[in-house]
Amino acid sequence: MVSGNMSGNHSTWPEWVYVGVVVALLCYVGAEAWNIERIVEHVPADAEIIKVTGQQWLWTFEHEDGTKEIGELHLEKGKAYKFEITSKDVVHSFNIHDYVVLLDAVPGRINTVWFSPNEAGEFPIQCREYCGLIHYNMRGTLYVENGA
Amino acid sequence: MKVIFGLALVLGLLVIIPSIENALAAGDEPGEYLDRRVEIWGLFYRLMIVAFTVGTVVSGLIVWLVLRFRESNPKAKPTEYEADGKW
Repeated sequence: MVSGNMSGNHSTWPEWVYVGVVVALLCYVGAEAWNIERIVEHVPADAEIIKVTGQQWLWTFEHEDGTKEIGELHLEKGKAYKFEITSKDVVHSFNIHDYVVLLDAVPGRINTVWFSPNEAGEFPIQCREYCGLIHYNMRGTLYVENGA
Repeated sequence: MKVIFGLALVLGLLVIIPSIENALAAGDEPGEYLDRRVEIWGLFYRLMIVAFTVGTVVSGLIVWLVLRFRESNPKAKPTEYEADGKW
């Protein structure tokens, strides 16, 4: 058994430096993540709202002017869009991988996420929450077109 | 010890207070156009740099400790307890 006086005799500054470095790193990681989340979730005032509804096993999109699309979504390059995402049956997850858009579609709840496509082209939309037999094929296509 | 603790406290406050102010103030303004890909992947890479740096330092320290303080190291000295035979 170690005698009692030894624990008080050695220098403890390395331990305190270690604790300080760990605390500083945790603060940095937390602050960075929090800040980016805040920036990314901050919707521009002129964002067009798109209502997204998931159901087994397809995606429905409704534009602000009432236009509806099933399995396809046509957007304009350079504009901001805010998705209001919900589900009619089970939990789905709305994902546009190429634009890092990913949010759950939950029955009875509207989740929001926004993005601004800055590249024209076709991009896959995919359900990312296992939602039943045909989950693997619950896909859609995002068409980003150059504006008029 | 007090100096180190005080320094850590001051540096911590210098980061924390502006961050809180920034976060609270931003709620009143409309957001700006941005590329999610750049922001999110940028965050991911920065945090990966932190994670791998910490991993390298910690594992390097453990390897150094194991090699330096092994009994067979020519520089190894018995501890006070071992030298005196008192435990």
